Amino acid sequence: MSSLNVDILQVTTFVVIVLIAAAWYLSYAAARLDRLHAKVEGAMSALDAQLVRRAEATLELANSGALDPATALLLADAATESVERTTEHPLAEDLLDGQHFGGREEVEASLSEILAVTLTDEVVADLRSRGDELVDDSLDRIAASALRVRMARRFHNDAVREVRRVREKWVVRAFRLSGHAALPERVEFTDELPAALAR
Amino acid sequence: MVCPYSFDVPGGVQFHVRDLAEVFLAQGHDVSVLAPADDGATVPPYLVSCGRAVPVRYNGSVARLTFGPVTSARVTRWLESGRFDVVHLHEPVTPSVSLMTLWAAEEPVVATFHTATSRSRAMHAANPVLRGSLEKIRARIAVSEDAAATVRRHLGGETYIIPNGVHVDRFARAPRREAWTGTDDRPTLAFLGRVDEPRKGLEVLLRALPTVLEARPGTRLLVAGPGDAGDLLRKAAPPVRAAVEVLGAVSDADKESLLRSVDAYVAPHLGGESFGIVLVEAMAAGAPVVASDLPAFVRVLDDGRTGVLHEVGSAPALAAAVLGLLGDPARRASLSAAGRERARVFDWEPVSRQVMAVYETALAGAHAELVEGPRGLWGRLVRSVPGGDRP
Repeated sequence: MSSLNVDILQVTTFVVIVLIAAAWYLSYAAARLDRLHAKVEGAMSALDAQLVRRAEATLELANSGALDPATALLLADAATESVERTTEHPLAEDLLDGQHFGGREEVEASLSEILAVTLTDEVVADLRSRGDELVDDSLDRIAASALRVRMARRFHNDAVREVRRVREKWVVRAFRLSGHAALPERVEFTDELPAALAR
Repeated sequence: MVCPYSFDVPGGVQFHVRDLAEVFLAQGHDVSVLAPADDGATVPPYLVSCGRAVPVRYNGSVARLTFGPVTSARVTRWLESGRFDVVHLHEPVTPSVSLMTLWAAEEPVVATFHTATSRSRAMHAANPVLRGSLEKIRARIAVSEDAAATVRRHLGGETYIIPNGVHVDRFARAPRREAWTGTDDRPTLAFLGRVDEPRKGLEVLLRALPTVLEARPGTRLLVAGPGDAGDLLRKAAPPVRAAVEVLGAVSDADKESLLRSVDAYVAPHLGGESFGIVLVEAMAAGAPVVASDLPAFVRVLDDGRTGVLHEVGSAPALAAAVLGLLGDPARRASLSAAGRERARVFDWEPVSRQVMAVYETALAGAHAELVEGPRGLWGRLVRSVPGGDRP
């Protein structure tokens, strides 16, 4: 009788220890995943902010009157479309949670392309030679934000890769550690800087 | 900024960290560099020592690294007293102070990967240990295409490429030295780098020299760099020995003047180069470049537009390339002009601007996140795991 008691005690202790260890591991994995999700969301909002800046600066340049009307209209058109589209926020109470790029890739790619075809070396040299402070300022801001768009997109995609790798693990899937969070997607679009602004 | 290698020993990563720190300081930023340094060594005022570096056999060669509890305590103290906006780690997977800082940092982390040589064994073996920490990096920078490929292969994922920087103006304005300046009869070639390091390819150049001397008997080869060239020279023919002048290790100012004076700079490297900073320095000084066609060199020379490329390890090809250049002053002049233009891309001014943009992007991402405090004891226990945020 007493020997059976000891056995039950040992087994119970063992089971409890295993359960605690498992719970700790699950908690740790969930916290880690949470951190990685937060990183993706931060990176996404950094990208969003730079895209908005790029579009605004482009609009300013288009409206400055320094460009011929056709170029100005092309730029204004592409930039306006970009300004109108922002990341979608499905959850009103938390602007970062669940935001995604909302199919903006095409709009942003077309702004990149139009910047590249309109702001050629000659055009930029001509704009710079005028000494117009407003024009110089908007060119500088386009260059600065376009560079940061490039960076932010890479850092975002790298963070996405980390989240996706962790979420592929069976423990994470079996215990639904990612909760209701949507699987983050990479953001792919042309983000080449106009050569004249890359310098 | 954190540098894993001892600051009092010369090396590519150390120079990069030093220059970047000094550029940012000059721009008015607050910079503190944490790196190993010997207790008695004279160090720049922005440097904080994390202890003495110990020579350790690591990955096939001896590296001077720091680790252990003393370093760990100094890292924590540095992070606490510094209250940094961004922590920039160099070579974060080297088992030294960068990795320890990554482990301890709560600040937004930016990391720069320098090496292209395969560190595969260490990176793979330690991967489970590294992984949690690596996830803290918000922005990864690679100094070249090759360094980026190494990261992709061993760690996976993307990096943003920002090249190494060079103080272009220092090279462009360095005074010419008459003793090193070539004439029509006696043109001068320069070789830079450790002479007894086979990877640097001095041996190939010495094999090419007889052919060069046959066509242009007055040619002089100026060899600058640490190491003993005795063995290599003893094996060479007498006319080659007469044409070679060994300068030994030279100061920065001498290096600038040397590159400014010579008719051509020769880079016969055999491999293991991830960037080719010397090529940029030569271009900045206006020296026409003859280089082996390593992928990194081809890229630095803009697909061969700003320098002459030859087949890696081939002495006849090298001799032909050198002779072609020495016999054509117009081509030398055009390459020199093209090189100066090309070197501008690698000037610290645009390079540091890009690094600053990375800091800003990483910060923007960090500020956008909602700060969630640890919830109770359980939350703290979960978060205090290696690689997790500390409470």
